Amino acid sequence: MMATRIHPLLGAFAILVFFFLLAPLVIIVGSALSDTTFLTFPPQGLTLRWFANIFQMEAFRRTAITSLQVAILGTGLSLLVGIPAAYALNRYRVELPRWLSTLFVLPILVPEIVFGFALLKSITIGLGLPVFISLVVGHALLILPYSVRVVGASLASFDFSIEEAARSLGCPPLKTFMTVVLPNIRAGVIAAFILAFITSINDVSVSVFLTGPGISTLPIQILAHMEQFFDPTIASVSVLLMLVTVGVMAIVEATLGLTFLTK
Amino acid sequence: MKAIRFTQLATLALLATLGGTATASAQSKTLTISWWGYNGEKMTANIIDPFKKICGCDIVFETGNNADRLNKLKLRDGKGVDVIYLTDSFSQLGIEQGLFQPVDPAKIPNLSEIYELGRAPQGKYGPAYTIGRIGLVYDSAKVNPPITSWNDLWRPDLKGSVSLPGITTTAGPMVVVQAGKHAGVDPYTGTDKAFEAVEALKPNVVKNYNTGSELVNLISTGEVRVAIGQDFTLASMQAAVKTMTWAKLKDGDIATLNTVNIPKGSTNVELAHQFINFILSKDVQQKEAEQGVDAPISTKVQLTPDQAKIWTYGADQVSSLTRIDYAKMNAAKTDWIDRWNEVFGK
Amino acid sequence: MNKLARWGLTMPATIAVVLLLVIPVLLTIATTFGEAAGPFSTYTAFFKSGFRMAVLYRTLQVALITTGIALVVGFITAYVIAQMPGRLKSIMIVAAVFPLLTGVVVRSFAWLIILGKNGIINNVLMSVGLIGEPLSMLYTQGSVIVAMVYLFVPLMILTLVGVLEGIPRDLIEAAASLGARPIPTFLQVILPLAAPGLIVGAVLVFTGSFTSYATPQLLGGEKQMMMGTFLYQRAMVTFDWVGASTIAAIMVVITIGVVLIMSRMARRLNPMAV
Repeated sequence: MMATRIHPLLGAFAILVFFFLLAPLVIIVGSALSDTTFLTFPPQGLTLRWFANIFQMEAFRRTAITSLQVAILGTGLSLLVGIPAAYALNRYRVELPRWLSTLFVLPILVPEIVFGFALLKSITIGLGLPVFISLVVGHALLILPYSVRVVGASLASFDFSIEEAARSLGCPPLKTFMTVVLPNIRAGVIAAFILAFITSINDVSVSVFLTGPGISTLPIQILAHMEQFFDPTIASVSVLLMLVTVGVMAIVEATLGLTFLTK
Repeated sequence: MKAIRFTQLATLALLATLGGTATASAQSKTLTISWWGYNGEKMTANIIDPFKKICGCDIVFETGNNADRLNKLKLRDGKGVDVIYLTDSFSQLGIEQGLFQPVDPAKIPNLSEIYELGRAPQGKYGPAYTIGRIGLVYDSAKVNPPITSWNDLWRPDLKGSVSLPGITTTAGPMVVVQAGKHAGVDPYTGTDKAFEAVEALKPNVVKNYNTGSELVNLISTGEVRVAIGQDFTLASMQAAVKTMTWAKLKDGDIATLNTVNIPKGSTNVELAHQFINFILSKDVQQKEAEQGVDAPISTKVQLTPDQAKIWTYGADQVSSLTRIDYAKMNAAKTDWIDRWNEVFGK
Repeated sequence: MNKLARWGLTMPATIAVVLLLVIPVLLTIATTFGEAAGPFSTYTAFFKSGFRMAVLYRTLQVALITTGIALVVGFITAYVIAQMPGRLKSIMIVAAVFPLLTGVVVRSFAWLIILGKNGIINNVLMSVGLIGEPLSMLYTQGSVIVAMVYLFVPLMILTLVGVLEGIPRDLIEAAASLGARPIPTFLQVILPLAAPGLIVGAVLVFTGSFTSYATPQLLGGEKQMMMGTFLYQRAMVTFDWVGASTIAAIMVVITIGVVLIMSRMARRLNPMAV
């Protein structure tokens, strides 16, 4: 689709916003490379040792893997439960009670610490689930609002008569959803995925309660490291996360084409 | 269809991670240790691996800061962990909440080798395994005359250059104790007067800090020249500003002890005692001190002056420290936090 | 059949939220009514304290200002992004995600470098001669809002790009070809259609900033204390879960109230907005 013309003032504004969003990252990248044992900018001497530090520390590696697993499984679970709910909320808007949509924002509405505290009581102690499963379930619940609401916002502008048409032509419901609805709300699903994944991988307050003997997550390990060390390792973790994101996007570009992100 | 390919990819990823998490570890005896989680490599090399050989058991960790781990232990009613590392103000809280069991000194023979103040710092409960101090640090290039007493914090020439530990940190309540001394009252009975002294300190304060890294940042960016700090942050501060100096206070630094306790729901009480005895042994203490992990509490540890300079080391230094009555302090804490918020929140 | 479908589709999510969140949280909050001094004693104590009310008022103010700024900034940026050709659009979305990948401590360190007394802005302003004395920008309400806007604009952009893309382009073109000026087109066509996205973004940003505690603590200090910090102190420092739950209950009631008001406003713009 050809882009419509954008007012130059709007374009300039967007450029300023991106400057505002990206400029502080220069400081973070710079301090991650600094050859000092404390965070500083501009960097004094250049080194990659803080990056090496992450890979050398067994606890960082182990918790990074746990964090990734929890984020992938948790995000998958929340989308699996959340997309149908978002679909129903929009498709059967008139028939379903309004409070349902408010119900699905509750996980981010309750302050995280109390949420974590309540989850520990209900999932880990109440249901007696193993630590890893509790973490996945807890994260899935924490990020459910993104799955339901962000996908729902996309569905709000979806024309359900297209779906009706496919159905009346004899296409089974699930196939209709996969081939007609999903491609039309792809941007919303991807946005929900990104937000949910990032929320999960950065989460501290809920994970603090749900981690247990033998299992911890990366953000908690980073905080533990910071109890004693004040070096740029924490900055290099951020930079590494950005590099991984770029890497994932490059793979997506190579396999599916970057336009996969959008319609 | 791209959407379908995406779904397939996602399913594959899900399956792959599920497969990766299937773990199988069922050893006969497993000792679960709750501790902070920093310096893991040295902990493994100096303590865990050698201890595993001795006990023939497996060791698992629960990691996190004091508050997180103690909160979880409380929710699990003292179960799930065999040994818990905490700073003394938190272990006192745990004792008050009835979460620990008394230790049996007969099963920890190495207790006789550690400094008196660490053997039973909180009644019949766990001993201390390391010793630290809270004192004043200042930039000797910019602060003149040098700082020699807690009272110097109130000096008018330090206007807008001090950072205090926030009331919720380990060192925070000590500010109130020192303010009480400055005002010549007992902070627990003369709380009003003590907080008047805290209020009087306010013009000197730039910002209070909540974590060590925040303090190091405040110092490296030049916002702060004087601070109340814990000894283990000194090296990082000096790396940022060479002239940062640990003040020699005529009214003495405050002792902080890190303790090890056995929760009441421990299922490996014998093993837990054995572990505590092990970390108090001269060999472990010597290694940990030489490698800059923890200050020794064992009287048998011998350090060169260079190795010792970062630690609270030697009988003279240890005996000069002031102790805090944590039972009293914890009882007053909620009230102090409110008052502190009122002073600094305005 | 239809009835079965609509309940069946929402059921797993509903059960999960009710069972694992609503009930445990209600049980936790129930403990606040069991005090010896009377069922509402912890609440009256809260509302009687001038300091606590000041914190509550500040938190509400900061969260609303942050949400307002993030809405305007995020909407315009998302609008521009939505008009971009495919690849550029994807790159811009990825770039907008980056700030979310930085930990709170490093991020506030970056702002310390930018806003500090001998920070970048002060240095530039001094060398240009605009100011003689460095400005105190850190540890103010402004610095907290800047840091929060930084964190929440990406969230708003991500939420809105999908929605704005869903608006059929021919609709805008039709409006334009019928002679509608850009501003009326915006107000009467784009804004109502974007309303569902705006409300979701506003809800996410408001709840996120209303309950945050690390950012205000690091960039605001004690003078800028917010409700989240209060709650954290009660729960994690003094282990006073009754006090913490009181604060949480007050926060939940207020956020639900604000979210309902926002939804009502959105529904006025577009009756389809949930």
